[in-house]
Amino acid sequence: MNKNIFLTILMTIVITFTACNFPTGTISSQKATLTIAAASDLTNAFSEIGEAFEKKHDCIITFSFGSTGMLAEQIANGAPFDVFAAANEIVIYELDTKGHIKSETKQLYALGRIGIVTLKGSHLEVFTLEDLLNPEIVKISIANPYHAPYGLAAKQALITAGLWERLESKMVYGKNISEALTFITTKNAEAGIIALSLKDDSLMNFNLINESMHEPLRQSMAVINSTKEEELARKFVEFVNSKEGKEIMSKYGFVTPEE
Amino acid sequence: MDNINLFPLYLSFRVAITATIISFIIGIPFAYFLSKRDGKVTDFMDTLTNLPVVLPPTVLGYYLLILLGRQSPIGAFMENTFGKMIVFTPTGAIIASTVVSIPYLIKSSKTSFVEINEDYLNAARLLGRNELNIFFTIVLPIAWRGILAGITMSFVRALGDFGTTLMVSGSIPNKTMTMPIAIYDALQAGDKYMANLLVFIMTSIAIIFLFTINLLERKMRKG
Repeated sequence: MNKNIFLTILMTIVITFTACNFPTGTISSQKATLTIAAASDLTNAFSEIGEAFEKKHDCIITFSFGSTGMLAEQIANGAPFDVFAAANEIVIYELDTKGHIKSETKQLYALGRIGIVTLKGSHLEVFTLEDLLNPEIVKISIANPYHAPYGLAAKQALITAGLWERLESKMVYGKNISEALTFITTKNAEAGIIALSLKDDSLMNFNLINESMHEPLRQSMAVINSTKEEELARKFVEFVNSKEGKEIMSKYGFVTPEE
Repeated sequence: MDNINLFPLYLSFRVAITATIISFIIGIPFAYFLSKRDGKVTDFMDTLTNLPVVLPPTVLGYYLLILLGRQSPIGAFMENTFGKMIVFTPTGAIIASTVVSIPYLIKSSKTSFVEINEDYLNAARLLGRNELNIFFTIVLPIAWRGILAGITMSFVRALGDFGTTLMVSGSIPNKTMTMPIAIYDALQAGDKYMANLLVFIMTSIAIIFLFTINLLERKMRKG
């Protein structure tokens, strides 16, 4: 009796999943698909850019968000991406010298900004970097400065402010900017420094850090050499830097490059 | 580049050894209990023990971050009463490693407990031995091979844990950065030399360890 119920449920699940997947499977094989590797700080902005681009060019865009270092390593090892939007420009130059990208497509698309974050509802008043010295702030979360551009910028800002040595023992490191944010949203760190592009007003208090405090976060992108959809990939890169694309980017807190 | 920091290696060993000892103390009685009982509750507990093997490490790490985090009842209690944090400390790494590695020890031990011929145990019972005595003088000597295999597996798993530990430890250099995290960071930073070196050390240790255990087992089997 029990076995029968179990089998029925199992069969229902199997049938539902196979049946549901079938039609979408055929559609995706007809439409062109672009796979875009993008730095974690772009999660919100690029999701919207992707939707706008899909509507315009009748194609399917899939994103692989991750840390810039990890994505660069995957591309150097032949990952099947069409476009790479990094959180800095150094990795794009490095991939270029190794011949992994189409040189003429590499271009600046945004300047990143960082800010101090506390969770909404927190009684702590944190407006400046100095406020992080407050002993009630036990842990401060940033992305790992060893390999994440936004983490490095956060560290640079603290060094410029002359606070790094005093705050270093409070630091915890996320593997990328999204994980750094998770430590804050789960209340395991009282404060943190994250990308302006990940700001969510309903969730957090955000105080921008002056951009002179750290090296500019110049974010570059390029079309990957091994792409099978070169024309579409080039269009995507153009779209990000078009008027429409820039509007979306600046909506999410990126400073877009001037022509 | 020459002065490589061996702290991650030291920490990994410390974490893995502690996690294995904890797994042993909790896991062996638990495995024995599971092997002796039948029923829905036992089945459920059996399923639960295997959950860490099936769940993605990041999911497990997230659970631990919520469960032991500074806002959780457990985490807040520890911080307010003893002034100690669980997350972002080696203790957090040890707990993470224990959770991911204990299923291997339980599973392997349980299998070898189940295989013991009940006649031996009943004979001992007839001769007036108590259950604890039977466990140490009959059950353990018969089942030791499976237990040893379980210990090895769980130690190696604890030594290599990455995803779960990363979520609860905050990868703080010289504090909570274990070997797998150091390898990941070096790879991310494009430091191939460091990454290769650490990978080589880690692989050598794993091979030497497994080889020694194999040798030991063969020797003991021969008598």
